[in-house]
Amino acid sequence: MRCRYCAPMAWIALAVLLVAPGFAEAQTIPAHPTDLTYDLLDFTPPTSAEHRYELSNGVVVFVVEDHELPLVSVSLLVRTGSYLDPADKVGLASLTGGQMRAGGTTSMSAADFDEQAAFLAAQIGSSIGGTSGGANLGCLTKDLQVCLDLFFDMLRNPGFDAGRFALAKSQSIQQMQRRNDATRGIEGREFGRLMRGSDHFSTSPRTRATVEAITRDDMRAFHRRYYHPGNFIFAVSGDVDTEMMLSELERRLDGWAVVSDPVPTVPKPAFTPEPGLYLVDKPDVNQGRVSLGHLGTTRDDPDRYKLLVMNDILGGGGFSARLLTRVRSDEGLAYSASSSFGVGVYYPGVFQAGFQSRSETVARATAIVLEEIERIRTEPVQEEELRNSIGYFVETFSRNFSSAGSTAGLFANDEYTGRDPSYLTSYRDNIAAVTAADVLEVAQRYLDPRKLAILVVGNLEAILAGDPEQPEFSLEDLSLGAVVRIPLPEPFTMVYPVP
Amino acid sequence: MERRFGSLGCAVLLLATTVAAQEVSVEEVMLDNGMTVLLLPRPGDPNVAAGWVAKVGSVYERPGITGVAHLFEHMMFKGTSTIGTRNIEQDLQLIAQLDQVKANIRAEETDLLEAHRLGQIDDPNDPARRSIRHRELLEEFDVLLAEQEELIIKEDFSRIYSGQGASAMNAGTSYDYTIYFVNVPANKLELWFWLESDRLLNPVFREFYSERDVVHEERRMRTDSTPTGKFQEQFDALFWQSSPYSWPVVGWPSDLEGITREEALSFFELYYAPNNLTAALVGDFDPSEARMLAERYFGRLQASDRPPPQPRTREMPQLGEKRMTAYADTNPQVEIRYHSVPDGHVDEPPLVVLGQILNGRTGRLYRSLVEEQEVATSASGGQSGMKFEGMFSLAGVAKDGRTPEEVEQALYSEIERLKTQLIEPRELQKVKNQNAASNFRGLRSNFGLMNQLLVREAWRGWATINTDPALYDAVTAEDVMRVANTYFNPENRAVAIYYRQESDEAPDARLVGLDDAEQQQVRQMMNMMSQMSADQLAQFAAQVEQMVAQVPPENQDMAEVLIEIVRERQVAAGSAR
Repeated sequence: MRCRYCAPMAWIALAVLLVAPGFAEAQTIPAHPTDLTYDLLDFTPPTSAEHRYELSNGVVVFVVEDHELPLVSVSLLVRTGSYLDPADKVGLASLTGGQMRAGGTTSMSAADFDEQAAFLAAQIGSSIGGTSGGANLGCLTKDLQVCLDLFFDMLRNPGFDAGRFALAKSQSIQQMQRRNDATRGIEGREFGRLMRGSDHFSTSPRTRATVEAITRDDMRAFHRRYYHPGNFIFAVSGDVDTEMMLSELERRLDGWAVVSDPVPTVPKPAFTPEPGLYLVDKPDVNQGRVSLGHLGTTRDDPDRYKLLVMNDILGGGGFSARLLTRVRSDEGLAYSASSSFGVGVYYPGVFQAGFQSRSETVARATAIVLEEIERIRTEPVQEEELRNSIGYFVETFSRNFSSAGSTAGLFANDEYTGRDPSYLTSYRDNIAAVTAADVLEVAQRYLDPRKLAILVVGNLEAILAGDPEQPEFSLEDLSLGAVVRIPLPEPFTMVYPVP
Repeated sequence: MERRFGSLGCAVLLLATTVAAQEVSVEEVMLDNGMTVLLLPRPGDPNVAAGWVAKVGSVYERPGITGVAHLFEHMMFKGTSTIGTRNIEQDLQLIAQLDQVKANIRAEETDLLEAHRLGQIDDPNDPARRSIRHRELLEEFDVLLAEQEELIIKEDFSRIYSGQGASAMNAGTSYDYTIYFVNVPANKLELWFWLESDRLLNPVFREFYSERDVVHEERRMRTDSTPTGKFQEQFDALFWQSSPYSWPVVGWPSDLEGITREEALSFFELYYAPNNLTAALVGDFDPSEARMLAERYFGRLQASDRPPPQPRTREMPQLGEKRMTAYADTNPQVEIRYHSVPDGHVDEPPLVVLGQILNGRTGRLYRSLVEEQEVATSASGGQSGMKFEGMFSLAGVAKDGRTPEEVEQALYSEIERLKTQLIEPRELQKVKNQNAASNFRGLRSNFGLMNQLLVREAWRGWATINTDPALYDAVTAEDVMRVANTYFNPENRAVAIYYRQESDEAPDARLVGLDDAEQQQVRQMMNMMSQMSADQLAQFAAQVEQMVAQVPPENQDMAEVLIEIVRERQVAAGSAR
């Protein structure tokens, strides 16, 4: 396989331009864009090593300077996550993350903290997601010192103000009321449960009871347990001097003990999805939302580049992917249709294909999606599809480094998830080496129509009745498993009524 | 990665609180045919954010063809005489035949639509109702489509782009403009010129009818099948009386159904001439090469000798408050809108600053409504200036146990404060500091900057990116008070109240025993009460008590509920006897 991102012809074109500058104007317009020739895109990605520093206490810091605008950004990754929530206090991690920012500090009231940050036009945030915590600061260069004061006061000495905490709890509970309002939200929640079961942290909902059980002491203890330099990785970017920033961080972390209490690992879901047709009724909408899926693989899978190309051709590649071409361009059955093949960091991701279509045509569009999944497993992809897909990944590689912030963030994330940065060096070659036979092989091995769970949310009466124009399509005939109706849960307890 | 400096030439003055605004030095090239090209080289990231704007959107439409600007945007991805086809002559022939058959089908549909209008049939699209001729035509249409399928290279346009590493390719239609954008690797700039000038020069609107179905699905997804989408659309139509901002960008369904390919084509000829187009490039390119390519490629477009027609109909001044009550899958909430001013009006900067005083975690609305009064869980407000009209809207979601009407009153109190008291100097300075910082933040991404230049170009010209900041920095507390008094008047507003549809739509359990008409009446009176002062409430209570003695027996239960509520309100207002 030749190197896809080198264009030897371009050198000739360049040479011509250099020798005869007037030549270009005289050029005619090629009849077809495939006749255009291009200069070589000479892009060498920055390496993690050249931006990686370690403080004396072992904390890793990435710094990427960019002095074009007088702005500085500091991001912090913290080893924690909502997977550490106690079962009877689901919501603790998320509330702790949010209240670190909202609740002031031990020496500054919540209102004063907010007011100072707002007056400086500083963007200060803190949050805890599923498998990581984070905090960020964005400010003008001239305010960096005072903003770092605020930022580190928040990280080290959060006040967890009682009034703000009560407000956040009541807002969280009121927000639960909206859980069954939007079909998009229902689809996401139920598809997650179909893939992960209902016992995994990623699908355990907070309820009125779990939120009410959380106390300020719980948040203080959670913060104490996980927020210390041993769990920190910094990513700094923008208008800063690297040496200055390193000594600044050194000074501000000074005396903050590095605890060597290891954080528990992220639990893998102990669940195998059940194939079948799953139906959720939402009578007052005229469009059904459909997701089909089964488990994917992990990020360290050696087949991941082949899977990336396979999924791109099937449904990941936007307008030119097969799913959108068939469902949207050919048939006009949906505005969007796509697929993703999940490669998880801690456990296998999920393969998911989905679309939205008017109630009557849900069955027909589902049949097309199933057909396309079958087709990519049985026929080799065309050479042109393969070439386009490879070209896309190779040529958009530089987008990962489009700003100092995205570069520093990428390196920090890889550090956090323990990914060897050498993959960046070989990424384009690995993509360019994928063949049509590889795509067929991984499609056969990793896609399995017999295992698909098909979830449909919408007006079931109209959806199951199908299209009077094309009565041959029936949703119930398409699924290889059982037909299961999922009722809407009581939004505050998340108890599902027994039908 | 040490990035080289771009050409933004920002002059940072370390004043006590404010930093000076940047100067964005764009090179503006005017082609002979009237097309404008904006060039902003920014080396570093080896990519170019590339886009162009047509100064046309849904307000340039008229009833009957609403949605055509957006539908047209979709058609621009369907190819040209070179892109998307294996045989252009046969393709064009088939397109003409398809149009002819479609016209005949439309004639058949007219009868069904009329029967539906007269209530003779329930569903004009019921296949069983179609005549034999109608069915034959549909079959003929399908046969032609199948023939055309053989010639079409599906999604050729996007496939060529993505195969060359172009990303984020898409377009967007708004009320005032339509933008087409993409990110191309730095070495693929000529491909952008080739494809974009080709689709302006040689467009072929193939797959017109199936694309119309796609737009229908887009409408279902964004408007019909979201909890509040269809109500917001109705509220827009209620708020705007004569202005074309009253119809949705995506168009009314009946118009989408009827728009013809010819109508889309004539729209193109009027509004996609080079004198109505501006392109912008931001990123890693050589400006002299870009100038040369612009002339070579876009220079091919035929100049138009007539300026594109502009919307003529202005909004009528509103004479009385408008209200809408909706029951939706959402938490109870309120939206209040005032007619204000379009983008660039001299009163816009103070209105925008006024909105900023209200917004955010330290803004007045959050502090007062969410934290102090605990009447709302969230509240916001802000000025939206479009090209020809503008509005200022306020919104809040009621906290559990409070009503949208109470949120509405609390919002009015904040407006009243702005009308009668000058804002604090520190509040004003805070907003100015935030504007200074966000001006810089808006320049970080090449894509965002390209988009900003094009939107500004569609409104008042790209150069406002350099001239607007000073206007906002000059706003005074007196300006803010003046605009509050100019625009925030009851007869100039529309109010939408949302209740949750379901059993808990009326928070009052006392209404349960009443019939629908009675419930509606009680709710209306509750609305009225929520706007009364303590004295007015006392007067009203006396009237209700008198009334109770006179109501017929079948309405007695309603009267009792009403009196109970009035007394409760009086207690709440601190005026109970």
